[in-house]
Amino acid sequence: MVALDHSFSTGKPADYNLEAILDLDRIIPCVEGGKVLERESPDVAKAEIKVKMGAMSMTFKGTVEVASKDEAERTAVLRVKSKDTGGSGYANADVAFALDDGGGTIHTEAKITGKAASMGEGVVATVLDALIKDFTTKLAAI
Amino acid sequence: MTTLGPQNGTLTVRTGKGGAAAKAGHNLVIEVQRWQGSLTADAVELTADARSLRVVSGSGGISPLGEEERNGIAQTIDEEVLRGGSIAYRSSRVSAREGGYDVEGELDLLGVTRPLSFALSVDGDHLTGTAAVKQTDWRIKPYSALFGTLKVADVVEVSIDATLPRSA
Repeated sequence: MVALDHSFSTGKPADYNLEAILDLDRIIPCVEGGKVLERESPDVAKAEIKVKMGAMSMTFKGTVEVASKDEAERTAVLRVKSKDTGGSGYANADVAFALDDGGGTIHTEAKITGKAASMGEGVVATVLDALIKDFTTKLAAI
Repeated sequence: MTTLGPQNGTLTVRTGKGGAAAKAGHNLVIEVQRWQGSLTADAVELTADARSLRVVSGSGGISPLGEEERNGIAQTIDEEVLRGGSIAYRSSRVSAREGGYDVEGELDLLGVTRPLSFALSVDGDHLTGTAAVKQTDWRIKPYSALFGTLKVADVVEVSIDATLPRSA
């Protein structure tokens, strides 16, 4: 299990930020290589993320679900469940957002197995940290 | 003058990897398919076609490098790194020593010219030599992926291995 904390700025009101986070069609493409494949319901999307490693890449397919939301507290948890399409590994994560005026914070707990995990937990944490930092820069323009 | 090229030798580039996610990457052996060199007792010259690199093999990494990936890397080198730029070496001084030559000169790499020295060894009709090229010295930003956590090492090795014609 890898746990990481980040913050981000949007310059927008808290309600706007919560609405943006809960809009899976907007939030999923903010992850580099991420795209929505199919909407199952307002709170569930089939999605994939293609992680490019130079000419090689790993693709994870699965679901992103709004596991919980509290509009009064302006918090939400997005649950990611995905499988490596080229192997037997998986990448699951709970991504907890706490929104505020101007931005918010992200607490990520991820579990990754298979080829990606063979790099070691420290490396996975470093790459995931870089991926989420990139995600936060895209959130700035959401 | 001895003329060198793919007909009597190989010009090979070896790259390493760095960054936090270095384990995910491969050490590459890349062959230059179109190049031409000339060798005399006091001058060494070599030009190479930046669009003729072929990935021969890769070691390390979290999964083996297949033909599709090798072609993909060659395409990335072509489109994002070398972009068909100039590759030309010209010596300014060649010093003979036992078993070979010490060569000093300048390498024009993608329009930037910097000094580059290396040693050539000659054993009978067999010529070998390796030069270390630090990409940033030629203002090339080493290729990186995975949000900068996986990088090609700054220094790449360029090796020549050729059979000299008997008359040389």
